[in-house]
Amino acid sequence: MNSATSTTSQWREKSDNQTRLAFGQALLEIGAREPGSVVLSADTQDLLGIRPWIAKYPDRFIEIGIAEQNAIGVASGLATTGLRPYVCAYAPFIAARSMEQIRNDLAYANQRVVIGAAASGISLGVAGGTHHALEDLALMRSMPNMTVIVPADVNEAYLATLATLDIDGPVYMRLGGRTPEPPVTDDSAAFTLGRASRLRPGNDVTVIACGAMVELALRASDALKADGIAARVLNMHTIKPLDHDAILQAAAETSGIVTAEEHRYAGGLGGAVAELLAVEQPTPMRMVAMPDEFAVVGPTVALREKYGMSADAIVAACRSLLL
Amino acid sequence: MNETREALLERLEKEARQLRRNLWRALRAGGGGHAGGSSSAADMLTALYFHRMNLKPAEPEWPDRDRFVLSKGHANAALGAVLAQAGFIDDALLDRFYHFESPFGMHPDIKVAGVEMCTGALGHGLSIATGMAFGARIQKKPFHTFVMLGDAELHEGSNWEAAMAAAHYRLDNLTAIVDHNKIGQSGRIEELISLDPLADKWRSFGWEVREIDGHDMGQIVDTFGALPLSKNRPTAIIAHTVKGKGVSFAEDTYLWHSNSVNDEVHAKALSELGEA
Repeated sequence: MNSATSTTSQWREKSDNQTRLAFGQALLEIGAREPGSVVLSADTQDLLGIRPWIAKYPDRFIEIGIAEQNAIGVASGLATTGLRPYVCAYAPFIAARSMEQIRNDLAYANQRVVIGAAASGISLGVAGGTHHALEDLALMRSMPNMTVIVPADVNEAYLATLATLDIDGPVYMRLGGRTPEPPVTDDSAAFTLGRASRLRPGNDVTVIACGAMVELALRASDALKADGIAARVLNMHTIKPLDHDAILQAAAETSGIVTAEEHRYAGGLGGAVAELLAVEQPTPMRMVAMPDEFAVVGPTVALREKYGMSADAIVAACRSLLL
Repeated sequence: MNETREALLERLEKEARQLRRNLWRALRAGGGGHAGGSSSAADMLTALYFHRMNLKPAEPEWPDRDRFVLSKGHANAALGAVLAQAGFIDDALLDRFYHFESPFGMHPDIKVAGVEMCTGALGHGLSIATGMAFGARIQKKPFHTFVMLGDAELHEGSNWEAAMAAAHYRLDNLTAIVDHNKIGQSGRIEELISLDPLADKWRSFGWEVREIDGHDMGQIVDTFGALPLSKNRPTAIIAHTVKGKGVSFAEDTYLWHSNSVNDEVHAKALSELGEA
């Protein structure tokens, strides 16, 4: 097998069940494979675990400082010269503050730049609403040419990051924070961009989840199974391009669809699925997501519970579709 | 061939006249546009494309070409004109300014040969040019990157993020040209938000600064020829210019930041610009 396989246990351990660190580990393999790869930091060297990169490739590292707009512009300029920039940043800042640079300099100009956006959702729970990224999927998936990926665990984050080498355009990779993201994906399976993976079979109801909510969807499916309800679970790791086939198939084969995401209700995964189904195949839906409000201060898991982003909430949503 | 300085300046001034005629031609085709900022930039664009920059118009993607980013993208009529005169694009494209499905719209589009980036949303170009200059350093390429900024554009804070980074990394293969025509869209910049002391601002950010008359071809050529002005520092050229330069009724007024151009206005402008 290749060098990746031989060091799998190493990067897995160093990732410590956090997708943000798996991104940093995958960059090391990208550095070896792609001599044109360059890493940029917005004062985020530890957030994405890139100190090993800095030690190994000092000439292919640029610290930008806390200047997200400049980080995206510089990355765009680098890309025009044939390099492959990877921008390491905080999701709540890079997506919102640099939105215009991402739209114009990356999406409109279609430059091959990958944004590693860590600490997404409410992972910075105690930091408060100023530091929550609950609109980023809505912003990022609304732009032509963008690819939007939300890995569910470190295995998927690692493979998805490697997969960016073959994407001819800008990529937004949404990564978690310090709250552990337990393994949920099959680490012997390949990562296929734009193709949802079915983690549980079932023809009663379907849960379509992304990111940290995939694990909760699996727990919900297991709980429903005890009551004789077969809840299919789709891991929708690619929000754009969206896997229309898997969604339409689920709509045809099951009684309804529940989406689950750590993102505000408006415009995220649920919105993307609803846009498709409303036009192609109107289907009963429930959305498990952050309501239209700013979260209070608190630990991430407690905030998920408070705002209805939990396995119990997914179970209740599934049941309501089967009444 | 060894061109004398006199011959060089004469050749460039002739191209600059032609550039102004061509940009007004584009404005007529579009029914109007940004005459003021296109005209103030015209002499420096001429010196870049017909003298200073190392380019292969027949091979616009040549990896070692010098880069030019028009951050003040609303001066695209002037960029289109210079690209046509230099042979990057078909001259006939100038007559399709603003036309339906034309690649030559109000702002530069990277799909047009010779255009390095989609610009015009202000405050983007200096970051992009910094990335290009960094790309040259990482790949050990000899090219120089130029970026032209509007003066009112400097109100955008992102410029100063880029200014800080370019100086920190000692990118002496980067030159920012400020087209300092003193007028923004709504009036005189001094009355909007003052930029002064502009040269000191750049110096304090770590740039080597030179102030020139942006319409004096001799000064322009001499300054471009001396780049980088300082080893280990990016250069900022603050070019004092006249908005609408060359056409009396468009000069030094915010009313000609952008305005309508019909056949009559066009003819009047050309009569003042003289033959190329």
